[in-house]
Amino acid sequence: MSEIASKMTQPIRRVAFSKPHYRRRKIVNFGMLSLTGILTILALIPLFWIVGYVVYKGAQYINLAFFTQMPRPLGIAGGGILNAIEGTIILTVLASIIAIPPGLLAAFYVAYKPNTPLGTAVRFGTDVLSGVPSIIIGIFGYALIVKPQGHYSALAGGVALAILMLPIIIRSTEEMVKLVPHTLREGSLALGSPEWKAAASVTFPAALNGIITGILLGIARASGETAPLLFTALGNESYDVGKIIRSSIANHLGIFATFKNIISQPVDSMPLTLYKYSQQPYPERVSQAWAVALILMAFVLTLNIASRLWVQMRTARMQGK
Amino acid sequence: MRKFSFILTVLFFSSILLAACAQATTSPGQPQSTQLPADSVQINGAGATFPLPVYTEWIYAYQYVDPSVTLNYQGIGSGGGKKGIIDGTIDFAGSDSLLKDEEYTSGNDLQMYPMLAGAVVPIYNIEGVTQTLTLDRATLAGIYTASIKKWNDPAIAALNPIITLPDKDITAVHRSDGSGTTEIFTNALSSFSDDWKNNVGAGSAVEWPVDKAGNGIGGKGNQGVAAAVQNTPNSIGYVELSYAIANKIPFANMVNKAGQSVMADADSLASAITDYANSFDEKLTTKIVDGPGAGSWPIAGYTYIILHTTSMQDCTKAQKLLEFLNWALTDTAAGKRAADLGYSVLPDAVRTQVLDKLGQVTCNGNPVMTNK
Amino acid sequence: MNKTSSLLANRRSAPTWILRLRRLLNYGDRPWNFLTIAMSTLVIILVVGVGLLMWFDSQDSRLAIGWKFLTPTLNASWNPITSKYVAWPFIYGTIVTSLVAIIIALPVGLGIAIFLAELSPDWLRNPLGWLIELLAAIPSVVYGLWGIFVFLPVVVYPVGVFLGNTLGQIPGIGIFFKGPIPASGSSRLAAGLILSIMIVPTIAALTRDVLRAIPNSQREASLSLGATRWEMIWQVLIPYGLSGILGAVILALGRALGETMAVTMVIGNSIEGTPSLLRPGYTMSSVIANQFAEAVDRLHTSALVEIGLVLFVMTLLLNLAARFLVRQVARKTPQEARA
Repeated sequence: MSEIASKMTQPIRRVAFSKPHYRRRKIVNFGMLSLTGILTILALIPLFWIVGYVVYKGAQYINLAFFTQMPRPLGIAGGGILNAIEGTIILTVLASIIAIPPGLLAAFYVAYKPNTPLGTAVRFGTDVLSGVPSIIIGIFGYALIVKPQGHYSALAGGVALAILMLPIIIRSTEEMVKLVPHTLREGSLALGSPEWKAAASVTFPAALNGIITGILLGIARASGETAPLLFTALGNESYDVGKIIRSSIANHLGIFATFKNIISQPVDSMPLTLYKYSQQPYPERVSQAWAVALILMAFVLTLNIASRLWVQMRTARMQGK
Repeated sequence: MRKFSFILTVLFFSSILLAACAQATTSPGQPQSTQLPADSVQINGAGATFPLPVYTEWIYAYQYVDPSVTLNYQGIGSGGGKKGIIDGTIDFAGSDSLLKDEEYTSGNDLQMYPMLAGAVVPIYNIEGVTQTLTLDRATLAGIYTASIKKWNDPAIAALNPIITLPDKDITAVHRSDGSGTTEIFTNALSSFSDDWKNNVGAGSAVEWPVDKAGNGIGGKGNQGVAAAVQNTPNSIGYVELSYAIANKIPFANMVNKAGQSVMADADSLASAITDYANSFDEKLTTKIVDGPGAGSWPIAGYTYIILHTTSMQDCTKAQKLLEFLNWALTDTAAGKRAADLGYSVLPDAVRTQVLDKLGQVTCNGNPVMTNK
Repeated sequence: MNKTSSLLANRRSAPTWILRLRRLLNYGDRPWNFLTIAMSTLVIILVVGVGLLMWFDSQDSRLAIGWKFLTPTLNASWNPITSKYVAWPFIYGTIVTSLVAIIIALPVGLGIAIFLAELSPDWLRNPLGWLIELLAAIPSVVYGLWGIFVFLPVVVYPVGVFLGNTLGQIPGIGIFFKGPIPASGSSRLAAGLILSIMIVPTIAALTRDVLRAIPNSQREASLSLGATRWEMIWQVLIPYGLSGILGAVILALGRALGETMAVTMVIGNSIEGTPSLLRPGYTMSSVIANQFAEAVDRLHTSALVEIGLVLFVMTLLLNLAARFLVRQVARKTPQEARA
């Protein structure tokens, strides 16, 4: 005790506060803090560079025909990417239909019963699935659907994209459901509603905004993917949903057969087309590649910004700001 | 309740599994009417990029000839075509790479049908050189075995006395995918140089000595190689002639076996074909590299379509496909377009053989082509 | 009171079928439980399925080649003609490009996170955070396209020439910077640089969350002892959140390992003998992307799937390590759904 007392009465060494040291610390402080600001600006440079360059190059080639026409052979000028736009839409819609219901249901289970073996396993599985490289999902889709069915198809591509979307949807839905105050659910249960009704008509609408955000982010991710489509959707310069529907009408095929025709053919998507065109030596194709990049980027970035704005508004409202 | 749900889950998934196993592979055939409405038959093919410029034009033109058919051909390389037709994921394959014996066996009833002949040309991009380069068999092999490393190597300079070649390293571009163009090229190199034949060999994908030496680059598809050469100064590559012409990439003349310097064009291609006019084997395939003729282009090859001859299940699709192939082989406008793009149509004797063989394709036991 | 009791007495009951429906819906919990459990099981089946598929489809090459497939060697060959397959060049390419990416992205991401969490004014924080995350939203092929035609000629080629002339001359580490960079810029360095741009948002977002989760008491305590702001950050916050930051880095590493399209488009796709960063290379995901569609030979396909298996296992392990570390410090927010 006396040792401590004697230590306390000794003059505190003032080296750290002496003028030269303090000045150096101040300089280091200023330098490092500005460095972080510089690094932030540095990281933003590629963003503006890429976006700016894609807009600059892509806008030169965009016209209405680009959106509404099918590709022309290399010798003939013009043509568009209607097949790729339709393909992207079909693939994204398919992937959403396949991924959303299971994703929502699994997320509800995990959110309500997180500590059960199944709940832990699903969270674990979602983490694993979100880290699997997309090319491996492509191999999975090839082995699971393309090979047994005997043809490349939009269905195979849709399934591969759905597997990519699934972890995103589960994770964000789980978060949003957890954010809903449990008093809402308990109040509904206290009034005598069954568990499922409490989930469906009370929790789900309360979490809906965030769930939609997660879905939009998943769609943005899925529509920008190329690797899984290399072995599942293959590519198809003649794909046109309008043509398929017209031929089905002419052949008197029913709705199911039409639907089957739409999803069982190989399709192109915008990222796939971008990849193919970027490898070409023909300058026309390269210009078209930039235009596709512009459309794709606009689509994906708009989805991202929209969903984040939504989250922002939603959390602000829930916090009562 | 939890256990009940668990049992139900197991039953649910097992029933899905059973249903999936019982799933038929292809969709039922289209209605068998003679005059089909527009776009009712979809035919998918994939494979070589060697004939891709012609095939895309033919497909574009054919939609006006027979609107009931929609064709789709993806240029993923001869290897991709072969895999697709063997795995059964496409209806027809394009390939300049010959099927090996194991591939014939695993694919069951495959048959290769020559469609066109084309020339593989060495393209180059040399700083400051605007004239046409001349290479001979030894130098080309030497460049790709990495024994000739610089553009101003004496062997190259000797062939090009009026060109000032720079003292720069050669970057040799090759295919990164399984390629029939590579097979034609390496067949030629094997014929040019025993060193190449013994150490590297010929095939659709080889181990390039230039990679090991550090001056090789891989490009995907004929387009990828053309783009790589365009974008890389002091480089050389090999592509099908039409890619060089369409993109205005300079390509070299070659000194052939007879010692003559030839340019790749319709005449030298025709001469190469005549050199090997009778060498088709019973599988209807042959190699036409390094021909002895005075005006022959030394790096030429046929490109083939691969079909299943007896096991096609959709007979309407089979019929439409064979009609398309028939049109492509016999229609004069189609042939002219191919020639304009730098390919050569089949000599008449060969064409007759091919059409005969096509007539032997059956579907469900019945011959598909009832008329020629 | 009278009104209420008369109202209660005179109430009309709903039609019978509605009453029956209501009673039926009360039993809705059974199918609900079944559905949620079934879908959860589906997720697990999916994960296990992918792993099993990789394992079984690579059987041929695993049995035929064994561990030699993976071991580092100077004489690697990948030859479909002679059926000799060694995956080392691809493993090396993947590791080297990812390492380059992490080395560059770590300080940048850390700096951004510090700026966003500690220094930026409130009005700037959210917009800036969004902008950084937009970097992660740009599709991989667009990065590749911009890489080939813009980034490589303008940035990578000059940098490569510079590095070749300076670091390439030093004996020892010089072998990693030797050899002229191809005029097109296609090289491992190019892939590493583009990867670094792509993973900066991951590191920045997760590290920012880690820093935000650190209680203010730590900050206040160190500041009250006289630390400068930077000293507070560097000597208190970073060590406190170190496990979370490490987790973010490992997660970003996992992303870099699996990235396919942008890398394939700029790396040159060549199995070269040299370990140099300035030369074209090949990564595990690129070789699968390039060759899977045309591997006819069973052993070839199996070898490619085995590479996929290795990739799967690597990303799996890294992911688990990362999640474990990140969960220790940071709470996740919906914005990271992509990470």
